[in-house]
Amino acid sequence: MTNEQFTNEFEKARPQLKAYILRITASIQDSEDIVQDTFIKASEKIDAFRGESSVRTWIFTIASNLAKDNLRTKKRWTENVTDICREKALSNPNYFPEIMKIQQTSQQAKFEIKEHINFCLTCISKSLPLEQQICILLKEVHEFKVSEISKILDITVAMVKYYLHTARAKMIKIFEGRCALINKKGTCHQCSELNGIFNPKQNFEEEKNKIEFAKKANDPNREYLLDLRLKIVKSVDPFNSNGSDLQLHHLEHNRKVMDNIAEKK
Amino acid sequence: MTNVASDGKALTSKKNFSRETVVSIDIQANKSIIWALLTNAEDYSRWNSTIISIEGDVAKGEKIKLKSVLDPKRTFKLKVKEFGAENRLVWGDAMGKRTYTLKTVGDELTNFMMTEKIGGPMFPLFAKMIPPFDQSFEKFAKDLMKEAELIQNSK
Repeated sequence: MTNEQFTNEFEKARPQLKAYILRITASIQDSEDIVQDTFIKASEKIDAFRGESSVRTWIFTIASNLAKDNLRTKKRWTENVTDICREKALSNPNYFPEIMKIQQTSQQAKFEIKEHINFCLTCISKSLPLEQQICILLKEVHEFKVSEISKILDITVAMVKYYLHTARAKMIKIFEGRCALINKKGTCHQCSELNGIFNPKQNFEEEKNKIEFAKKANDPNREYLLDLRLKIVKSVDPFNSNGSDLQLHHLEHNRKVMDNIAEKK
Repeated sequence: MTNVASDGKALTSKKNFSRETVVSIDIQANKSIIWALLTNAEDYSRWNSTIISIEGDVAKGEKIKLKSVLDPKRTFKLKVKEFGAENRLVWGDAMGKRTYTLKTVGDELTNFMMTEKIGGPMFPLFAKMIPPFDQSFEKFAKDLMKEAELIQNSK
């Protein structure tokens, strides 16, 4: 593979790669750094690339290893991350002025429920063990095959299947208990609250009905509801969506809050 | 009791000072999947209808707290005594020990065996108070088979 071919392949993969690393680290800076380090590392090793996997798989392998190194000493988040961070946001006098400023200055600061669903899944997935989180993101969001994930993580196909299965089961359980979009007794109403603040003229029920998994909330097949949720996540580019600046601000806030909690422990 | 049919039926043998229950079953799944299920404490209650909860890390020398459907009011404080990766796991207390063994017996086919031996000098005094394990063992083996095969067959 020539340098030019590699650079072309890398640039094709870059947006997906950056989104993937953001979803794992929840840090804009770390995702930018890791993507750049991946480029440098891969470009230095082009000669060692034997074509045993696609270039995309190879790039994601390098990036996954860098992300794992980055997260090795960091604590996993808790399932109630959005509750914790909501409290902190409400008690922070700078939080809403910062958001208002983003809304006034950015073209990408519209609040859209589907983007908040993507943000929410990013936060919740950080409560999974790292291997489970990586497997579910690679398979269900970035559309890698089980055999490719096995190469990326250097684990057996059987273990990829195990991590995927347990990740899905845990996500279903968490959303079942928390997400008011699918369960009337769900404890988290954050997307409706925020929609009320940012889009006061919208009828939330109407907006909710545009969300496929919310519309089918009574479907007993909860695996299917998770698939519909993941389909939304797949459709959102967290760096280039209509509300990316807003959602990235939320995510940075949550990461800082969770980092602070971990440091205090 | 080493020669037990791999049919998921539990067998109990009693002696004056001990009782042993064993179950064995062949599972159409990779050994690592079964091992992962057996060693993920937090996840047990999701797939195993005989366990209410297990707290702690299933790792050599670690202590775990187990609540079983068989005796829901009691919390068993157990120590992981052996941890032979993907082969053999033993936990227990002064009264008894539970042993899990896994053997590859074919292509993605694993034999699972679970044994619990309880006993000691005081065993005859409390033997009648301990419920039979057979049904619970059979359920455990069946649940494990169902979950492991579901994972193995996932795409």
